[in-house]
Amino acid sequence: MSVIGKAAEIASSGAREYLTFRLDQEEYGIDILKVQEIRGYEPPTRIAHAPEFIKGVVNLRGTIIPIVDMRLKFNCSQAEYNSFTVVIILNLRNRVVGIVVDSVSDVMELAADNIKAAPDIESVIDNECILGLGSVGERMLILLDIEKLMSSVDMGLVAAGGD
Amino acid sequence: MGETYQEGAGADFDLSQFYQIFFEEAGENLDQMEHMLLDLDLEKADDEELNGIFRCAHSIKGGAATFGFSDVAELTHQMESLLDRLRRHELQPIPQMVDVLLESADASRSLLARHQAGAQDAPPSTAHLVKRISELAAGMVPAHEAPVEPPKPQDPPAPAPAPVIQSAPTVASAPAGAAGARHLQIRIGPLERMEQADAIKELFRDIPGLGTIADLPSDAAATRIFSVETSSTDSDLLDLFAFHVAKEQVQISASSAGAAVDASSGIPAQNGDIEGATGPADEAYGFFKNAPGSPGGVQALQAIEPVSAVTRIVPKAAAEAKAGSQAQMESTTIRVAVNKVDQLINLVGELVITQAMLAQNSLGLDSAEHQQLLAGLADLDRNTRDLQESVMSIRMIPMSIVFSRFPRMLRDLANKLGKKVDLVTLGEATELDKGLVEKITDPLTHLVRNSGDHGIELPAERLAKGKPEHGTITLSASHQGGSIVIEVKDDGKGLSREKILSKARERGMDVSDQMSDADVWQLIFAPGFSTAEVVTDVSGRGVGMDVVKRNIAALNGTVEIDSSEGFGTKVSVRLPLTLAIMDGMSVGVDEEVYILPLSSVVESFQVNPDDVNTVAQGSQLVKVRDEYMPVIALERIFQVPRLDPQKSSTIMVVVEADGNRVALLVDELLGQHQVVVKNLESNYRKVPNVSGATILGDGRVALILDIGGLVRRARH
Repeated sequence: MSVIGKAAEIASSGAREYLTFRLDQEEYGIDILKVQEIRGYEPPTRIAHAPEFIKGVVNLRGTIIPIVDMRLKFNCSQAEYNSFTVVIILNLRNRVVGIVVDSVSDVMELAADNIKAAPDIESVIDNECILGLGSVGERMLILLDIEKLMSSVDMGLVAAGGD
Repeated sequence: MGETYQEGAGADFDLSQFYQIFFEEAGENLDQMEHMLLDLDLEKADDEELNGIFRCAHSIKGGAATFGFSDVAELTHQMESLLDRLRRHELQPIPQMVDVLLESADASRSLLARHQAGAQDAPPSTAHLVKRISELAAGMVPAHEAPVEPPKPQDPPAPAPAPVIQSAPTVASAPAGAAGARHLQIRIGPLERMEQADAIKELFRDIPGLGTIADLPSDAAATRIFSVETSSTDSDLLDLFAFHVAKEQVQISASSAGAAVDASSGIPAQNGDIEGATGPADEAYGFFKNAPGSPGGVQALQAIEPVSAVTRIVPKAAAEAKAGSQAQMESTTIRVAVNKVDQLINLVGELVITQAMLAQNSLGLDSAEHQQLLAGLADLDRNTRDLQESVMSIRMIPMSIVFSRFPRMLRDLANKLGKKVDLVTLGEATELDKGLVEKITDPLTHLVRNSGDHGIELPAERLAKGKPEHGTITLSASHQGGSIVIEVKDDGKGLSREKILSKARERGMDVSDQMSDADVWQLIFAPGFSTAEVVTDVSGRGVGMDVVKRNIAALNGTVEIDSSEGFGTKVSVRLPLTLAIMDGMSVGVDEEVYILPLSSVVESFQVNPDDVNTVAQGSQLVKVRDEYMPVIALERIFQVPRLDPQKSSTIMVVVEADGNRVALLVDELLGQHQVVVKNLESNYRKVPNVSGATILGDGRVALILDIGGLVRRARH
């Protein structure tokens, strides 16, 4: 009964699970349901004339997927590639995309009460793509609408005006 | 290159190898048609559905005519005529039409099964079906709705069950509760809801050993009657039923046996109702055993005569039914969903990469110490290679499979129409994905047939126009950029702009004289559009182009028409290269690898600086045997970062597209191999100068160059 009660509570409060990762000093959260898998970084094949943050394409079990380095996209101070660099493979509307982050932290459950609207400030991230700020104890998470972020034209993943 | 036939010389072409494909396709089309017919809402029949049914009939007819199965072609031609009037709303669909179309579909199926089995005896007549269809197509509604003299075996005699009834009372009068099955009639009612009684049926289904139950027609409202065979006592049954209905609502009476059921319910085993006939016959034997020495014995003995007469007929009827509509078509191949094959190919690709990695890692091992491991790895190497080859071969088949269908078809067509046609085929070796081949065959058949029927003129007409007596139809296939282009070209009379426009106006389409040629040509893709004066069984119903467009659009392809009146028509079908194997040449620029389609590579040579001239804006030209061609440095257009400043591009690869040549400047030639073309756009986007990507042996991705695009850019 307690399990059911808890589930009902989660459902009513709109709690969702978020995968959290770190870029520089900030911690971000994305909807866990959009995450397909997490892999180590392997050097991609460079695509000419692509924006700098698109590292290229890799072979994911026979499928060719683009790799976006979020550290470059968000102007992080450094972006090193070593054996600890991780790629989060996202599955967004039948498109598969990999994003490079500094590190993946954990999976967190956040109720709607714990999410506050993001202040309207200028940043590298379009405010449209931020769902809000989640607070868990001392930690603060920037919750991203990853689907919107990745499909925005300035990500360069889709042809402008197309798709 | 190319295959030409003339004077019907090369006519001894063996079509039988394609029979199987046709039978499978026809079977699928029949299934689909049946499905759509059953789903058809007669009140407000959807145009799309009617068109769909029509297209099925049309495709079968086309195939049957190609292969010379005239009986099937005739029957489907009739079906098509009826369906054509339906979809033009000249007739209102009525149930009789659906009936006759379904019967005709069954008849076609059995005719096809006969052809497939190679039967030589006289085919079952379809004249009655043809007659009924043409009556319906003419707008006549048959007065008698009852099954119209289907070519069924003579009906088993209707009174057959009667003698059984006589023997029945001997069984029914057996004491209730005795061991052995009893036949009961259970009347339940009056009921508030008829569904309550369904629960009773479920009891019989759920409790093993309780017996069997069957519905009987009820004579009163809110009452259900069941025929039950059980060994339980009445009180047991009542107790069981009490969960669902009150005891007062149940009346149990001894039934006059299963056989009586048929007689009393007024459904005599007519119409070759085989089950109905065998049922009572079997039971009759059953009673006989259960009631040894009963007074009815003599009567029962008498009963054997007529009953066995029924059973004698039954196997015959069954056999004929089997040879007829019920005949199953045999299949020697398995059809597998394309995505399963794709998955297989991807998995094998992964396996090959893993194997390569293991082989790499095992290089440093001492061969004496790890002999067994190394032997195992060698086996793995061979097996993965074989596996990869087999899996790849599942999908890829050369275009010649498709093209070789056409010579015979065109020859027959030309004979029928009194025309003289040569067929030239080019690029038959172009390998194409099996899924694509299957789907492109029908559209191509329509296109070729259209060219022969509408395009090529009669010999006299051609001579009068100053053209050679023989018309030429050219079929070609090639890889171009990221696509496969299949062209059907004829040197016939071409499309008439005026005719198409006037026909379009006739049909109430929104057209204007200012439309561009390309737009006008696109009009012929509308369903039901045909400019042919006579509707023949070859073409002219205007269904062809509609099918072509639809099938090709379903493959994400495009159809383009280029025509000039009096000189001919060219229809180009462009299909995306979703999964095609290509012979590639890999070239290196610094650390990066690019793939050139081998078919576009002309030659390669070490560059001599004296041969390169720089012209305006830094663009370069190279002189190759008295021909100047633009130089494209891959390093520059792909912005390759130079890690090793010592390295430089010193090799030129001459490539050709659309008849133009350019020289690509690369660092080194790495080798030639078959590559599986992967789509970049499914997860990323279109990249300039790149037609796709492939996965190299080490798992890395290499880009495939779009030579057509590069050449166009360099030449402008």
